[in-house]
Amino acid sequence: MRYDCVIIGGGLSGLTCGIRLAETGASVAVISTGMSALHFSSGSIDLFGYNGEGRTVYRPFEFLDEFVGSNPRHPYALCGARQVREALFYFRGQLDLEGIELYNNDESNHFHVTTLGTLKPTFFSQRSVFNEKIRLAFEKKSMIAALNFEGYRDFYPELAVINLRRNVLFRNIEIITGKIVYPDYGDPQRNPFEYRSVDIARIFDTERYLEELAVQIRNAASGAAFAAMPAFLGISNFKRHHKLLQELTGLLIYEIPTLPPSILGMRIDNALKSRFASLGGVYIAGDTVTGGSISGERLESVVTENGGGSALSAGSFVLATGSFFSGGLVSEFSRVREPVLDLKVYSDAERSRWYAPEFFPRRGHPFLEYGVETDERLNPKTGDGRRVKNLYCTGALLPYYNPIKEGSGGGVAVSTGYRAAELILEGNS
Amino acid sequence: MRRIETEAIVIGGGATGAGTLRDLSLRGVRAVLIEKSDIASGTTGRNHGLLHSGARYAVNDLESARECISENRILKKIARHCIEDTGGLFVTLPEDDPSYHGKLIEHCRYAGIRCEEIGVREALRMEPNLNPEILSALRVPDGTIDPFRLTSANVLDAQERGASVFTHTEVEEILRDGDRAAGVRCRDRLTGEKIEIYAGIIVNASGVWGQRLSASAGIELRMFPSKGSMLIIDYRINNIVVNRCRVPSDGDIIVPGDTVSLIGTTSKKVDYDRIDEITVDDDEIATLLESGEKLIPSVSRARVLRAYCGVRPLIAVSGEMDGREISRGIVLIDHEKRDAVGGLITIAGGKLMTYRLMAEMAADLACAKLKAGKKCRTHRTPLPGSERRVDQARSVKFFTGIPNSVVGSTLYRHGHRIRNILHREKRNYGLICECEMVTEGEIEYALKKLNVRDIVDLRRRTRIGMGPCQGQLCAYRAAGLFVKYDSATSDESNKMLVDFLEERWKGIKPVLWGDALREVEFGYWIYQGLFGLGDVRFEEEAEKR
Repeated sequence: MRYDCVIIGGGLSGLTCGIRLAETGASVAVISTGMSALHFSSGSIDLFGYNGEGRTVYRPFEFLDEFVGSNPRHPYALCGARQVREALFYFRGQLDLEGIELYNNDESNHFHVTTLGTLKPTFFSQRSVFNEKIRLAFEKKSMIAALNFEGYRDFYPELAVINLRRNVLFRNIEIITGKIVYPDYGDPQRNPFEYRSVDIARIFDTERYLEELAVQIRNAASGAAFAAMPAFLGISNFKRHHKLLQELTGLLIYEIPTLPPSILGMRIDNALKSRFASLGGVYIAGDTVTGGSISGERLESVVTENGGGSALSAGSFVLATGSFFSGGLVSEFSRVREPVLDLKVYSDAERSRWYAPEFFPRRGHPFLEYGVETDERLNPKTGDGRRVKNLYCTGALLPYYNPIKEGSGGGVAVSTGYRAAELILEGNS
Repeated sequence: MRRIETEAIVIGGGATGAGTLRDLSLRGVRAVLIEKSDIASGTTGRNHGLLHSGARYAVNDLESARECISENRILKKIARHCIEDTGGLFVTLPEDDPSYHGKLIEHCRYAGIRCEEIGVREALRMEPNLNPEILSALRVPDGTIDPFRLTSANVLDAQERGASVFTHTEVEEILRDGDRAAGVRCRDRLTGEKIEIYAGIIVNASGVWGQRLSASAGIELRMFPSKGSMLIIDYRINNIVVNRCRVPSDGDIIVPGDTVSLIGTTSKKVDYDRIDEITVDDDEIATLLESGEKLIPSVSRARVLRAYCGVRPLIAVSGEMDGREISRGIVLIDHEKRDAVGGLITIAGGKLMTYRLMAEMAADLACAKLKAGKKCRTHRTPLPGSERRVDQARSVKFFTGIPNSVVGSTLYRHGHRIRNILHREKRNYGLICECEMVTEGEIEYALKKLNVRDIVDLRRRTRIGMGPCQGQLCAYRAAGLFVKYDSATSDESNKMLVDFLEERWKGIKPVLWGDALREVEFGYWIYQGLFGLGDVRFEEEAEKR
């Protein structure tokens, strides 16, 4: 098979790139090993949350304008601040077409509430996490009810509420907790005490349960303006049912991320895949690229685990395989390598310097900043130093940034994916 | 200040201290146990969990070998739910001195240890992962023993017979009354509460930490700490204990344990001042992996879950300071005779295998001094959970409706006490830790009955977070359950979560490569990226923890 572009990795970055390319009529294939990191994400898209001293960044684009100048190797610098903005709003437009609305606080970050009730600065959130009505109700110091299903083991409102109450932003805001019970649902053989967020999302996706749930939620909220719930309010029918539930209860229904799988992230994952497919993109799931053949400065083709030896060739390739967790980087006793093409990697030779002494270090873990070194066109080099001009590296595979410490993971994935697509399109024209 | 009076105080919640507490309680002596951290958190919980037949010591230390085989037989009766009677092999590799094989057979005979030669083919049939190059194999009655379960069962039995237990409570000073040790002043490290306890006799069973403790009573006790390191492999790659048939050396043993296997051990001297800070070094990891691979080649493909180390409490026998007379055997000291300090005895040295014997010796002396108490019964009274042999098939039937895997795991960990834990209510058997099949009911039981004060303690009682994922999901769930069952405030629970993850991190750091690094990135992504746990600020009360 020959494509215009083959994208290795079907996460946030790979799919953003794939959509941008497929939109122009190019033939694009995305090869994905399995679930992407979106399934473990907050479902908000962070742009830049914290500066070098760990302080909150309030106006991320303003911040970036200066930041990219003094951090030329950072992925945002490789994209350029202008294209980062272009990428993010392009991304929002694409999700909107699939019924997932993303809201931002103009030029500013807004906060989303974490599972433990801490606040994280982010740029885009879904309608159940940030919008104008939520902002106004919050400013009016309206009462919040944190609700949960009895026996749901992946969220404990008490552990979040204690930290919210302590936060100055929540001073003078009354926060209560309450319980609701499952409607008569599902297979009686299954233990409801083992339901995961996806099981509950199915309940909320089923319209006939909504009225009963609405009554319960309204009662449990006992007069609050917000019902804050673990993020499990449906996937496929989220947009419609969330609205309906708000109408039925008269409450603002807010979502807080839970233990994985992340329903908020799965909504984005589904929307991206659906958008990519509707543009004619080919999504090859459950297969892993194991190697490729490079001749001169070009990657000619790649082979996959299930491909039975037949190669996939393309005019250009994108490597968006993620970091260690997703298998984009592999660590051995004393080195870090890139497993598909053995590309040149930035890391530390001394294993004891890969990590910080504490699990929660102030300065972050160095291994999060390792990755495949590229030039400003996102082109990597092979182990023996040859540049591969039709291969573009994007997302968490890239080095010189720390997604967690900076609060920049989503933004880097989206903007480098978009950047790669623009570079490919530029080269073709 | 709280003030308690009792008959006997036992300091140290390792196997020996817990065993002594139980022994005294069985004799009708009222006793209190004080442990500065958690039950089995020191040397007891930091070994490979090998139920020695004694064969490993037979050639060099016949007395230890005899003690081992005798205790081996007793423990198989009284602690059967803590034991797996896997059997053990001693295998000779091509590079090993072949004459050791014959020597071992001979010395096992002197010690009374059944040791039979089996063919290489038979050994490979029994343990298919074994290195096929082995030259010969011997079968011995080794097994595995879970030190956490064993210690907890001793404590539970003592408490059911009226003993009191203070964990996370440190003895600050041994209180003197003239030439006698009359009691202890201690401090609860979690709440800060001060407690004074007075008794007719104090048993120091604090192992390697005894040197510090004795010094507070003006008594010199010299320990020679030696570090032993081990690796945990993420799968149970063997079902039988595998020993290398040679003069005991590093990386000689691979022990299966629950869902994992352990490679042990090394031996390195450490400074006494550093006993609380020791970590596993890279060269030890390399040695263990290299030696382990020789016994079972698939070690090279396995993932190392964590590395940990313990301190062997070797003690100078007669107060000599040059270390010539270090004993690896049991040492019982009557400080009235040795140091003219009445009311205080020390039980030290020995091994996990001989904890019961050590406890018996200590309790014998304590009772003689108190002029109270009956004869020792610990060698024939089963521990809680081992009261009756429980049949897996019958239990599965009894708990129809509950998944077999849940019944099996609960039975495996708690033996006969499964009936106090499991019942047919869905809440009760809902899983919290999927790797180790720990249910909400088991956690509730542990919180209420097994002296659990934080998530790390809970891990030792239930194996929560000990499996391949090292607590990625269940740690948060456990924190939530502490609040649900009124065992902690929300703030304390969040702090416990930090402590638990930091404690897990200590054991993962030394082996941070490959899948361990992937797992850590995932865990860090969840707990910091998603939860922001590192940003939580705690009230002073929780901060103390």
